[in-house]
Amino acid sequence: MDRWTRREFLKTSGLVIGGAGAGLVDLRTLYGQTAEADQLPPTLVVLYLRGGADVLNAIIPATESLYYTYRPTIAIPREQVLPVTNRFGFHPAMRELHELYQAGRLAAIINAGSTHPTRSHFDAQDFMERAAPGIKTVTEGWLNRYLTATRTDEDRDLRSVSLQPTLPRSLRGDYPVLAVPDGGAEQAMSVFETLYGCNGEKEAIAELRGGDHAAERIKATLEARGEHELSPAEAARQQIVDAGAASIAKLRKLNALLHNEDHPVLGDYPSTHLGRQFRSIARLIKSNEGLEIAALDYGGWDHHAYQGGAQGVMTNMLMNLSKSMRAFHDDLGPRMNRTVVLVMSEFGRTARENGNNGTDHGRGGFMLALGGPVVGGKVYGKWRGLSRKALYEGRDMPVHTDFRDVFAETLSAMYGFRSDRNGFFPEYRANDRALGMMNPIAQA
Amino acid sequence: MHMSRTLALIGCLMLAPLSPPTWAEPAPLSDREKAAHALSRLGFGAQPGEVEAVMAEGVDAWIARQLDPASIDDSQVDAQVLQRFPSMGMTMTEVFATYRPPYPRDRRETPEESRRRNELRNQVRRELQSAVLHRALYSQRRFEEVILEFWRNHFSVDQSKDDVGFLANHYEQTLRRHAFGDFDDLLLATARHPAMLIFLDNAVSQKPLTEREQRLVERYEGRENRPRSFEALARHRGLNENYARELMELHTLGVDNGYTQRDVTELSRVLTGWSVGWTGAGEDEYGNRQHGEYGFVFRADVHDDRAKRVLGATLRGGAGEAEGVAVIRRLARDRRTAEFISWKLCRYLVHDDPPQTLVKRVARVFRTSRGDLPKVYAAIVTSPEFFDRANVGVKFKTPFEYVVSALRATDAQVEDDQAVLWSLRRMGQPVYQCFDPTGYYDQAEAWLDPGVLVYRWQFALALAGGRLEGVKLPEAWITSLPVGDDLADELVRQLVAAPVDPAATALLEEQIGQAFNRRVAVGVVLGSPMFQQQ
Repeated sequence: MDRWTRREFLKTSGLVIGGAGAGLVDLRTLYGQTAEADQLPPTLVVLYLRGGADVLNAIIPATESLYYTYRPTIAIPREQVLPVTNRFGFHPAMRELHELYQAGRLAAIINAGSTHPTRSHFDAQDFMERAAPGIKTVTEGWLNRYLTATRTDEDRDLRSVSLQPTLPRSLRGDYPVLAVPDGGAEQAMSVFETLYGCNGEKEAIAELRGGDHAAERIKATLEARGEHELSPAEAARQQIVDAGAASIAKLRKLNALLHNEDHPVLGDYPSTHLGRQFRSIARLIKSNEGLEIAALDYGGWDHHAYQGGAQGVMTNMLMNLSKSMRAFHDDLGPRMNRTVVLVMSEFGRTARENGNNGTDHGRGGFMLALGGPVVGGKVYGKWRGLSRKALYEGRDMPVHTDFRDVFAETLSAMYGFRSDRNGFFPEYRANDRALGMMNPIAQA
Repeated sequence: MHMSRTLALIGCLMLAPLSPPTWAEPAPLSDREKAAHALSRLGFGAQPGEVEAVMAEGVDAWIARQLDPASIDDSQVDAQVLQRFPSMGMTMTEVFATYRPPYPRDRRETPEESRRRNELRNQVRRELQSAVLHRALYSQRRFEEVILEFWRNHFSVDQSKDDVGFLANHYEQTLRRHAFGDFDDLLLATARHPAMLIFLDNAVSQKPLTEREQRLVERYEGRENRPRSFEALARHRGLNENYARELMELHTLGVDNGYTQRDVTELSRVLTGWSVGWTGAGEDEYGNRQHGEYGFVFRADVHDDRAKRVLGATLRGGAGEAEGVAVIRRLARDRRTAEFISWKLCRYLVHDDPPQTLVKRVARVFRTSRGDLPKVYAAIVTSPEFFDRANVGVKFKTPFEYVVSALRATDAQVEDDQAVLWSLRRMGQPVYQCFDPTGYYDQAEAWLDPGVLVYRWQFALALAGGRLEGVKLPEAWITSLPVGDDLADELVRQLVAAPVDPAATALLEEQIGQAFNRRVAVGVVLGSPMFQQQ
């Protein structure tokens, strides 16, 4: 089955449109899929598993006896593995992802990671989220750089959001991305909008008073002082003012959208933080505000100790991941055809378990790609087995696929973005069809 | 900054060679500005009247006193902390005895007992958070609190991980004991502290199997008949590199500063056996040890005694615990450590991108004094750079700095700090719960995301409006504030302390002019851009 039909979506999402009601429901409306929606940019959701998620207990080489040798206490028994290829299977907690894989909607990439061998969380995350391994002079996140490079005057306020109070590093940079606090902010915003130079609804009033916006006032002050630039303290303050103004404008809009009940929730989200975040992103997509890039974090994958096998800490987390992504997929229905969820982590872990029924920092990890454009039902990436020679330094899963191959192909397929130009990925020769894991989306 | 100003000046002269230069060297700080700056950066902000008090004492004299916290009587706050948060005066053994009741020996716990267990576990964590906040608000030793916040993040542990929740209270006392001593003692104290050993997994790191043993394990893996020697090996735990890596990357040398993966592995072998546990009597099969002592334990049986090579030096092995102590002291004295710590302190106390000349000078003091921390601090806070206008008002307060300074500026009475701690969590900085071993950042880049300011505004309005549960502003102060046109000026004078440029005040005046009452006006000032700066 290559692509799911709408009927199959409904079936798998458990949504029953029975008898008399069926004729009354316009399915396109159900998913917020107006004519305008097809003109909006596709949506890329980047989910970061923080801590270095273990590949061997997620995409499991169940046919390799060394896997069981290396992991006497935490290996997943072969009969419990959900087979996906003649070599690999998914962890039993990934039941929903397994179904999506079989439906051709999900692909896995193994032995993916950084060309830089660091095993530090901090550096590995930094390098990956800035897509500049080993290059510390690049300070902006790769998603932010993409937003900046493609910025136009018509950019929508909600072009990019992160549904958490502080932005992941991939979204930090010049392009103003909204980090979303929870609700109840309206009163505070109305008090502070003038002070933070927000030109929204108050613009007209300010014009009447003689156009005294913050920027103009600063200019006037400088002129009166006969100076040309702000003092360091003033410049610092201006940064704060700008951040505040951007907050207000975007949060107003976002709050309204997140509470918009126009579209029914069609996915069975787990009642977890991750589930709620995915539900919110789906709602934003359906509201047709042009959400293009969203990023979220899922922390706690640094399983140095008591990682667990078929049951345990990592199992619960994989289950949460699996159920949340499946619900998101069902919730968006046909809109998944223009949506991709990309899952990644800073590195994989050691092939052998350590002395504490856990695994230590390694190198090659896994990525997942879910969505209509994904050429799913495949495990991408080179596999050379688990022999000491095949491992990196005899201990870690190796890196055969540069994560930038995946990033480049994703940006190319989804947005027609040529990352080989202007050194978008520094010191990297972009190959946007390196894997062939994504079909290009027709550009609006 | 200076460079671009100079360029602007040159450009100006070229365009209009006949007109006089329009740019002048910025005036040095006034005494009032200096006092306000010192209180802001070295004291989490001024309380009402404090700027004037420091001016009267003399800023230099105040700083000299703050650099020697032992000279400042803080017995009142000490007593309050011990009385309200008794775990802060306890040994780790006492904390376990008090906050972790023994499991029943012969039956399952009742729901009531489980509830009580959870309650106590939460309580010990809360006491630490509250104690940190309480001292930051009220201690007379202002700079000690500021510098403690630095070390808390430099040697970050997260109380939500495993037993760290019971141990971090004592860890905080340990940081405090060494924050005005020598860096190598501080480093060693963290290295031996169970909170750190557990947080970064060294407590469970054990010597790796030899190649021969490894082969033996692989040979018998999965077989039915296995020799007893295999069973012993199979139970054997292995190396855990987490702490050794962070010890070099985060605590001493700085990331990628001349060490390799090999050094990390070798250092983790050096530190095998550095663990935690109970010594003395009283261990039962349920793990309840009511009579022993809990603390650092060196486990010789899991220590790797073979030769190692760390950072170019060969260690012959056989020295046991002393080997690790020597390596840690060497790391503490390393030139790169002096540079890294000095740079980080300058970033914290002076500027997100601190002047290189200052960093170099401070690093020299660090080296020549062998890490005598008060001397290092003094080299920063008595430097001309510290009071240079280019470095004043340029740092964006972290949530902790923001909340503490707002409570201090308004002389708020905190009867119950739950709402304050919750606000910190919403702003992204729960006390002692930084997930990442990097600790919380202190640069604007890390905190100035669109969206986060809203939480500060909500906090400011709730605090001023008397809606922050458990926290009250002095009613007499509110009613003493003038109404009308003078209100903004007066609030800026009282709360922001340092004079600010007229453009910002004018905007504030306009906003306050629209405020319905004085409490809203106070909230507006606390939420204003200028109050976010320091």
